[in-house]
Amino acid sequence: MATLVDPGTAVAGEAAPRVWWTRRRKEALAGYVFVAPDLLGLLVFVGLPMVLAVGVSLFSVDGFGGYTYVGLDNFRQMAEDAQLWQSVKVTLTYMVTFVPIGFVVSLGLALLVRDHFPGVGLVRTMFFLPHVISLVVVGVVWQFLLADKQGAVPALLRPVGLGDVSFLGNPALALGSLVVISIWFLMGYQMLILLGGLKDIPKEYEEAARVDGATSWQRFRHVIWPLLRPTSFFVLVNSTVGAVTGLQAFDLVYVLTKGGPANSTSSVVFYIYQQAFTFNNYGYAAALTTVVVGFLVVATGLMFGLTKGGRFDVG
Amino acid sequence: MSAFERVTRRSLLRGGAVVLGSAMAAPLLSACGGGGKSGNAKELTFWNFYGPNPQADAQSKWFTDLAAAWNANNEVKVKLHYLPVSEYLAGTALQTAFSAGQGPDIFLLSPGDFLRYHNGGVLADLTPHLKPDQIADFDGGVLDTRKVDGKVYGLPMEQEPLAMYYSVDAFEKAKLAEGDLPQTWDQLLDVAAKLTTKDQFGILFETIPGYYQNFTWYPFMWMAGGSAVPGSGGAGFDAPGVHQALKLWQDAVNNKVAPRKPQGDGAGNAPANLASGYVAMQQSGIWSVSQLEQEKKDFTYGVFRLPVPEGGTYTTDIGGWAFVANAKGANPEAAAKFIAWALGATDAAGVERGRQWNTVVKTNLPARKSVQEAAKAAGAFDKPALKVFLEQVVPGGRGEPRYTPEVYKAVSDAIQATQLGGADPAKAAADAAAKIDTFLKGYKGAAML
Repeated sequence: MATLVDPGTAVAGEAAPRVWWTRRRKEALAGYVFVAPDLLGLLVFVGLPMVLAVGVSLFSVDGFGGYTYVGLDNFRQMAEDAQLWQSVKVTLTYMVTFVPIGFVVSLGLALLVRDHFPGVGLVRTMFFLPHVISLVVVGVVWQFLLADKQGAVPALLRPVGLGDVSFLGNPALALGSLVVISIWFLMGYQMLILLGGLKDIPKEYEEAARVDGATSWQRFRHVIWPLLRPTSFFVLVNSTVGAVTGLQAFDLVYVLTKGGPANSTSSVVFYIYQQAFTFNNYGYAAALTTVVVGFLVVATGLMFGLTKGGRFDVG
Repeated sequence: MSAFERVTRRSLLRGGAVVLGSAMAAPLLSACGGGGKSGNAKELTFWNFYGPNPQADAQSKWFTDLAAAWNANNEVKVKLHYLPVSEYLAGTALQTAFSAGQGPDIFLLSPGDFLRYHNGGVLADLTPHLKPDQIADFDGGVLDTRKVDGKVYGLPMEQEPLAMYYSVDAFEKAKLAEGDLPQTWDQLLDVAAKLTTKDQFGILFETIPGYYQNFTWYPFMWMAGGSAVPGSGGAGFDAPGVHQALKLWQDAVNNKVAPRKPQGDGAGNAPANLASGYVAMQQSGIWSVSQLEQEKKDFTYGVFRLPVPEGGTYTTDIGGWAFVANAKGANPEAAAKFIAWALGATDAAGVERGRQWNTVVKTNLPARKSVQEAAKAAGAFDKPALKVFLEQVVPGGRGEPRYTPEVYKAVSDAIQATQLGGADPAKAAADAAAKIDTFLKGYKGAAML
């Protein structure tokens, strides 16, 4: 059995013994072992279907075992698909409202519960609780809360003359309602991530700024915000991907509106689902999936470039 | 970087590429070959949304008894596979199974989805296993939407006509009597307005997009002389009758006498909407009689046939599920024989089985004349609501149409755009008609009815 000697500890002038089982190698192996289950899951349940989707996108698939090679026809079809562009509009609207508003709300909550005060644990738990509920249950609960005439929310709004508002049945309000529910669902999770980032910022930095006479805003702007960049980057990328492909973009639409009213909540992911399972256009659905994944890779790359990967230690 | 890390990463990527490549190629190649038989020739799987239901209700028992009776006398056995109704109707399980070449041997199919499966070549011809008198026993045109070129591809287990339900209590509170039940579309909107209060809508039409919404809207289109496809009983989708029907539903929402969103799982659920006091009138099917009996026993309600437009002809839509056999299954012959026996047997046991399903464990209008007679003799239609269905609602009924998904989507978009999106009915109908016409130019499947 090889002697466990770290080359770094060898006495100067002596030739270091040739050992294979170094600390670095042990650490590398441990790293791979820890990552392996997730990596395997990613390969089998994400990587493989993605590669298969690219293959299927080149075929016309009838859903009953019939495959006909059509080359790039499925991709060409997208240009003339008005419903697709409506779904892209819905997804982008959802993304540009959900991501920034959700981030600001989550950051505000994280700052609110950052310092210790009596009952802080309870408050944090309350904000996080929605996230532990299944999205299908979330959808059902909000369906009751927003029900026309009889829901709790219209009842609360009745005194100001808004009791007859239909939040999920009006195309002008349905998507906004889904954004609010999504934020409510995800804010606790994002708060927790941001709270971790905030806790990592040494208190001394803020104290020094306070001694130098910096106001609360100046301390946030010049101390907290730059040091929180890696965490903010993760939260923003995560919620952008979630907004386009994540559960809330599909599950809530599926449970609450089925893409309606009048296609106003038919997101791209819901549209892909319809193409595959309502219309049997598996090839076209696979082509759409390929494009969406491509878009996400580009968008993530852009965000990565623009924020320098969220790193604060590079100029 | 250590040699260990370098080698491992490279080999990992190389190995991964091989795995992914072969995994990708295998299903594609096998799929291109396509069409192989799947499953077990001695054990037929029957996918349905009734039984064996974990809650083990009467409908589930009917299914398990059915399979047990067949299995006791036949070498090829039937194994029931239960799916929750939401998964069966709007989920991915059935479609995914067929896509993977592992579709069930026997399954339930509604007329609205018939063409998708028939055009996909997976429905077995049942005709060789049915005697002429068995086919003749099916009521009126109930088999029409399950037939292609004279061959029967599905046997209906029931007929489910649509009508209007109303709350007696809501009528009394609005000082309305039975004589005020609306006969025309104008009267319908007028009565709905009288029944609308701070907490209650006057009438409910389905607002959730989907096959069911289309199904419930078709009678209004037909009554006004419209049709979704040119030649299937009307002028086509861009016609005054269609505009009129779209406008009726739009007016109900715009006048705030109908909700933009139903309660529960949709407008086919009478306990969640009518009996809860959310609406005073509700368009729903005959199944709501048993729904209300089971869930809201003390609720007092009545039924009347759908009102007609000025100068229109009364028509309602008659839905209902059918047993169908998978032509690509391991033993389509045996599957077809099972269906012919389960729903087509004319002996006393077969008729009794039909009577039990339609009027004891569920409320339907039986699809077969002999079963209808047996049910009448047993007093099944003595209940006031069912009497109205039998005597007033069904005459003039028309089978649920079968359209392709492309036609369904165009119609659905028009209904949604006008009912909830505020679009001009004529414009929405013209847009949908253009899509339907373009699609029909390249359509090669079975006839749309």
